[in-house]
Amino acid sequence: MSGIELEIPADVAYVGLARLVVTTAARQAGMDDGRIEDLRIAVSEAATNAILAQQHVDHDAPVVLSFGRRDARFEVTIRDTGPRMAAQGQPAEQATELVDGGDLGVTVIRGLADSVDFIRDSGSRVHMRFAIGLPDEAGQRGEGAAKR
Amino acid sequence: MELSLHHRTEGDYTILDVAGEVDVYTAPKLRERLVELVGEGHYKLIVDMTKVEFLDSTGLGVLVGGLKRVRAHEGSLTLVCNQERILKIFRITGLTKVFPIHDSLEEALQGQE
Repeated sequence: MSGIELEIPADVAYVGLARLVVTTAARQAGMDDGRIEDLRIAVSEAATNAILAQQHVDHDAPVVLSFGRRDARFEVTIRDTGPRMAAQGQPAEQATELVDGGDLGVTVIRGLADSVDFIRDSGSRVHMRFAIGLPDEAGQRGEGAAKR
Repeated sequence: MELSLHHRTEGDYTILDVAGEVDVYTAPKLRERLVELVGEGHYKLIVDMTKVEFLDSTGLGVLVGGLKRVRAHEGSLTLVCNQERILKIFRITGLTKVFPIHDSLEEALQGQE
């Protein structure tokens, strides 16, 4: 992945900046406007969840976004070192109601991204993929974009 | 990134104009305004989202909260939204079945009984 990495403070005031930077990179990679709007929301959802989780363990540690073009796709990974969050924005261990598969934000991400993985290790990673261009044009567009 | 809110009454209805971005950072302001409006006795709300530039599930949650509050007073909360990028997330989350959504304020006002 021709990657960019952005660290943002675990502060909800920075979600807008995350949206701006990632969508700008996607536009430069050739994503069309309609799809960029989907990406904008998906990034907002994942960054929000990551920041809220991060705040539970270490307010001073950043949330890390890695993103860029890989072949005919734009990929975004957002990671935090916080606990798994339940639907009410509480750490899963403390929540009175655990909704497997998560909250509205997770539903939205799954509905917008072409594919997404939620990975738990010493924190959480959300890895999202968005196709750039139509599937049958992906190869041509890929070359065209790389030459720009 | 800003959120601006302005409300006015039209007949029995209170119209809340929402402009700008609604996300985890700005949504509390919207929640607060909805709580205030209901607290002041405005139970028939129309939330006009024509000038909303961005909305994610934090915003959806606040709107659901507003709907619950007005319903506790047998009121209503309808939305004006004609932007596909916003309607999409209402559809994805099934909330199109929960909120009456109109293309225009005129339709929203006409649609009321």
